[in-house]
Amino acid sequence: MGEEVKGEFEPRIIGFTCNWCTYAAADLAGTARMKYPPNIRLIRQMCSGRVDPLFVLKVFLRGADGVFIGGCHPGECHYMTGNLSARRRYSMMKKLLESVGIDPKRLRMEWISASEGIKFSDTVKEFTTQIKGLGPGPFRHIETEGKEQK
Amino acid sequence: MAKGDMYLAQASDKEILKQGESGGAVTALLKFALDSGVVDAVLGVKKRDGNNRYDAVLDLITDPEKVIDCAGSLHCVSLNIARNVKEYLDGAKQMKIAVPCKPCDARAIIEIAKRKQINRDNLLLIGLNCTGTLPPVVAKEMLIGEYDVNPNEVVMEDIEGGELIISLADGTKIAKVLLELEKKGYGRRDNCRRCNVNIPTMADIACGKWGVKEGEKKTFTEVCSDKGAEFIDNAIKTGVIKVEPPGEDAITERKRKDREAIELSNKCEAEDLKELRGFNLDDRLAYWLHMFDRCIKCFSCRDACPICYCKKCFLEPDRGYVKGGEVPPDRMFHLTRLAHDGDSCVNCGQCQDACPAEIPLTRLYLMLNIKLSPMFDYVSGMDVEQKPPLIAAKDEEASIDDIDIFLVKGEASEVVPQQ
Ligand SMILES: Cc1cc2nc3c(=O)[nH]c(=O)nc-3n(C[C@H](O)[C@H](O)[C@H](O)COP(=O)(O)OP(=O)(O)OC[C@H]3O[C@@H](n4cnc5c(N)ncnc54)[C@H](O)[C@@H]3O)c2cc1C
Ligand code: SF4
Ligand code: SF4
Ligand code: SF4
Ligand code: FES
Repeated sequence: MGEEVKGEFEPRIIGFTCNWCTYAAADLAGTARMKYPPNIRLIRQMCSGRVDPLFVLKVFLRGADGVFIGGCHPGECHYMTGNLSARRRYSMMKKLLESVGIDPKRLRMEWISASEGIKFSDTVKEFTTQIKGLGPGPFRHIETEGKEQK
Repeated sequence: MAKGDMYLAQASDKEILKQGESGGAVTALLKFALDSGVVDAVLGVKKRDGNNRYDAVLDLITDPEKVIDCAGSLHCVSLNIARNVKEYLDGAKQMKIAVPCKPCDARAIIEIAKRKQINRDNLLLIGLNCTGTLPPVVAKEMLIGEYDVNPNEVVMEDIEGGELIISLADGTKIAKVLLELEKKGYGRRDNCRRCNVNIPTMADIACGKWGVKEGEKKTFTEVCSDKGAEFIDNAIKTGVIKVEPPGEDAITERKRKDREAIELSNKCEAEDLKELRGFNLDDRLAYWLHMFDRCIKCFSCRDACPICYCKKCFLEPDRGYVKGGEVPPDRMFHLTRLAHDGDSCVNCGQCQDACPAEIPLTRLYLMLNIKLSPMFDYVSGMDVEQKPPLIAAKDEEASIDDIDIFLVKGEASEVVPQQ
């Protein structure tokens, strides 16, 4: 997929995706050869409800430019209310980021079911463009300096 | 008696009436709670050695005759009542305790009771109205420098009509405007400036002086729970307190003073958070990172926060977020605590009081909490039955697809003055 154009800022986006929906949608997008930017690195979770706010904070502090969370549509979570808790945490995190001064636009959540490959690729395209517009995340330099690595 | 009933109450015992701050009703009720076996102990606040009002201590009292040692209000203290109940009294799981408490104490108790670390059922909460406490060491400096008095000669402090009034042993009263004192770095604790819950209706009974006529020795008492109603009923029957209905004027006066205090706190909040709110995101982040980098990782904020709830703390190195032995600590240290406590913070100020690096932690927590509260319809520490917002997902939400329902609700409330 896409080549890095020299000099242009290529965001690093971490995507926490539910095994039962968004992760499968990403798979579908892949097998159907739909194009989406390679900037997103997916981390598979068993449910969006497993995405601890601390995961989000940690990846931001370790240099991510954007964080994406993908879960099953309300009513379709395999664990009944995992995604509903995830939505509450996501809403809290948006405000937490804003309160300390990290642009909340760098965090995005979507419901993407296993059959919505197109929605997945569109969302990633859109989010990548948005993050490109925002520029490097506030802790991006940390990674390049190789500091604070675990 | 029922929830919502109000009285002007007075201790029947002459000595209690004399020693009491208002009508001595609180002391009389606490003593009655012990005498009648409603509780096993009373957790009172008293001067160390009976004379040092700048070094208040908590006292777990089991002898009814000793309850009177705690009579009177101490303003130059920031005792951590909730954390003490949780940590050193086993969360009141083994004994019943009556606790006189300010709104922030009561709210902290309720928040941690929701996390099953305090047994609310075993507590009788006798709430005290409050509009502020002062940091003791700074208060002494202020008394010498601004009031020109010997701190040891002060017998009473009071906050009334925007003034801090002190009384000396010889009857002299000196009043100074609070906001003026605070401009000079004196006055109330930083969080108290912005505290807007003055009447502890979340307790079983709420007691205060508002609504009592100047010069009268009475305690304005509001019944706030069924438990409180039953308890007061018995106290009146036994004759330990005398009650009379407060006139309409007394009720109105109390409401008016409460409203005035809320207005003052809103004004202080707008003033104190103005700079932070005005920053663009980059400057705000730079500000907080600069503050966080002052941290010496003493863990005092965590240890003081009455609602820090993890049994196995995420700030410890073995949890994999914050490396051991690193100062200043990884920023995860601060953001973890903010993520865990921001929704339920009761603005008690214990974290900031404890911080040797003087990081204005309560401003950060309050700023977040003010945003979360309307989003989730949640005011922390009010109702033990109301679950903290992050674990309160309701079944109905399964039929709402909108990702931003809470954010939209929050934004709708932000139209209120935001200067
Ligand atoms: C810091 C503070 C500020 C107050 N501000 C107001 C106000 O603005 N408006 C108003 O109407 N009323 C206020 N009050 C309440 C008022 O001063 C009386 O406590 C109340 O009217 C009860 O009077 P009483 O004679 O029945 O209490 P007492 O019989 O004198 O009993 C007082 C009880 O208060 C407890 N106590 C004393 N200091 C503290 C403390 N710092 N923290 C927790 N418990 C304490 C003691 O353990 C004691 O049991 C305040 C009280 C305090 C402690
Ligand atoms: S935070 Fe509020 S209730 Fe607590 S001491 Fe300060 S003014 Fe009183
Ligand atoms: S974060 Fe600070 S102000 Fe908030 S509840 Fe904890 S100790 Fe109190
Ligand atoms: S109390 Fe202050 S210095 Fe100590 S760990 Fe907390 S923020 Fe750091
Ligand atoms: S199983 Fe997909 S969000 Fe819960």
